[in-house]
Amino acid sequence: MRDKLLEIKKLKVIYSTDGKVVEAVNHIDLEIHKGEALGLIGETGAGKTTTALSILNLIPNPPGKIVEGEICYNGQNLLKLSQKEMRAVRGNKISMIFQDPMTALNPVMTVGDQIAEVIRLHQKMPRNEAYIKAQEMLETVGIPGNRLKDFPHQFSGGMKQRVVIAISLACNPELLIADEPTTALDVTIQEQVLDLMEKLQKEFNTSLLMITHDLGVVAEVCETVAIMYAGEIVEYGTIEQVYNDTKHPYTRGLFDSIPKFHEDVKRLKPIKGQMPNPAHLPVGCNFADRCPDVMPKCRESEPVVIDVGQNHLVKCYKYVDGGDQA
Amino acid sequence: MSEKTVAIKSRNSGMMRDALVRLFRNKAAILGLIIIVVLILSAIFADIVSPFSYDEQDLRQRFLAPSAEHFFGTDEYGRDIFSRIIYGSRTSLLVGAISVTISSGIGTILGAISGYYGNRVDNIIMRLIDVMLAIPNILLAISIAATLGPGIVNVMIAVGISSVPGYARLVRASVMSLRDQEFIEAARSIGANDARIILRHILPNCMAPIIVQATMSIAIAILSAAALSFLGLGVQPPMAEWGSMLSNGRAYIRDYWWVVTFPGVAIMSTVFAFNLFGDGLRDALDPRLKQ
Repeated sequence: MRDKLLEIKKLKVIYSTDGKVVEAVNHIDLEIHKGEALGLIGETGAGKTTTALSILNLIPNPPGKIVEGEICYNGQNLLKLSQKEMRAVRGNKISMIFQDPMTALNPVMTVGDQIAEVIRLHQKMPRNEAYIKAQEMLETVGIPGNRLKDFPHQFSGGMKQRVVIAISLACNPELLIADEPTTALDVTIQEQVLDLMEKLQKEFNTSLLMITHDLGVVAEVCETVAIMYAGEIVEYGTIEQVYNDTKHPYTRGLFDSIPKFHEDVKRLKPIKGQMPNPAHLPVGCNFADRCPDVMPKCRESEPVVIDVGQNHLVKCYKYVDGGDQA
Repeated sequence: MSEKTVAIKSRNSGMMRDALVRLFRNKAAILGLIIIVVLILSAIFADIVSPFSYDEQDLRQRFLAPSAEHFFGTDEYGRDIFSRIIYGSRTSLLVGAISVTISSGIGTILGAISGYYGNRVDNIIMRLIDVMLAIPNILLAISIAATLGPGIVNVMIAVGISSVPGYARLVRASVMSLRDQEFIEAARSIGANDARIILRHILPNCMAPIIVQATMSIAIAILSAAALSFLGLGVQPPMAEWGSMLSNGRAYIRDYWWVVTFPGVAIMSTVFAFNLFGDGLRDALDPRLKQ
């Protein structure tokens, strides 16, 4: 087994506005090993981005707050670091790719300035050397080096996302968090960007936390996957375990709602209902109201996470008490 | 290697070039710019351009009407008004430039801090600004100048401080709209500290309104300085300043119109030029306003 790079333990993040408390992330546990690519899947509002921002300690406060848990990076709790120590981690050891490349770049700075900025923030290096490094990074992501002095508005969306990737990899981070990196791009460009990320991830031996709602993206890039629902991780395992031996009813619902090429289906099968309001989570299982296999005890108490074999974790009563357990 | 250095050196600032092209297409702005350039040149080369010195008195030649020798006539001490206006442009432009630097500097810093940090900091700074805004601008300048005592430096400080609120509010609003943009979050995620985010990422993005406000308020600063000098709080004689020339000449307005008219025209055309230029600059820097 590879070494653990990042370990999230019992993380709980709340947002409080006007007296209402929203539990955005509710006691999640997650680990990423060195060189591993982990996919974090969930629908809008499941707490994916909040999890990502907590790792960098960038939750906007107020209204957000990390109330419980630890985020250990190489054995060091990131939540205990001072602002200054945290800044040395951001962009250097852990970096992030944002969802929308259109707005993630500063419109009045050249892309060269922006790539060189992160390099000079973390590595004591003269200006012109940083620019040469920036140019190399630009070429690494497939943009001609002579465009270093161009402004973001002179690039297309896909190229901007490449620039963002160049910025995030410029300091050779150990962990890259990609928050829906392909959502804002069209399908062909998505493919290019994913290929690039996959290639660079292997090349730089970076660990990757890929946040998305696209099961296909995860299948392509990741080795392990965690399914998130209403601030909790409901299923976790390798791609093979989760995709071929789907356990949790929610995950199964997700797969059922994907159109299949080899079957002639008139209508897709959606998951009925809506995600519960995170300000008023139900008592038992959060998914109980939408679950096709709901049992009485699901509404009474919260299920615990159980291992259904080789670190394939599921949070569901269906697999407690023998049942499907191998 | 050599290719790389070339790429680094060739600066291609497309946005600035576009703005300049738009500016030069605006005829009114160019007229303003020409007047400003002429004023600056005459201020710099006052010794060479002006036919007389600003304090050269000749009591035998009091109140001469405009003629070939004295283009704008002479005043009550027989001093050449044309020369005094040229020398006066030095003072007026200096007052305009320096007081705007003071007000835009302080205002931008206060506004940026207030807009970026929000909450309590914002409240404290903005309430102070509100107090300043409650007092009419010119009255505030008069009271500051009166406290500091007469003199050109104090006029600059007084005029500068009295126009801080405008900048602070303007910058605060721009910063607040930029603060939550994704690229600011991205800057934070690469480990930039607050000072860096404000100075490198936020302020360059709100430069356009600051520049426009600055050119516009140079005109207001020159007017305020002229008003202070008119009241005797500004430049002291025999130094030439348009406001004080107006003030000294007002006693003779019935009989010798040229004593007050020409300094007034000088103030008016300078203010006009800066306003035209400021307007043009705003249109040029804001691509959304172009037709």
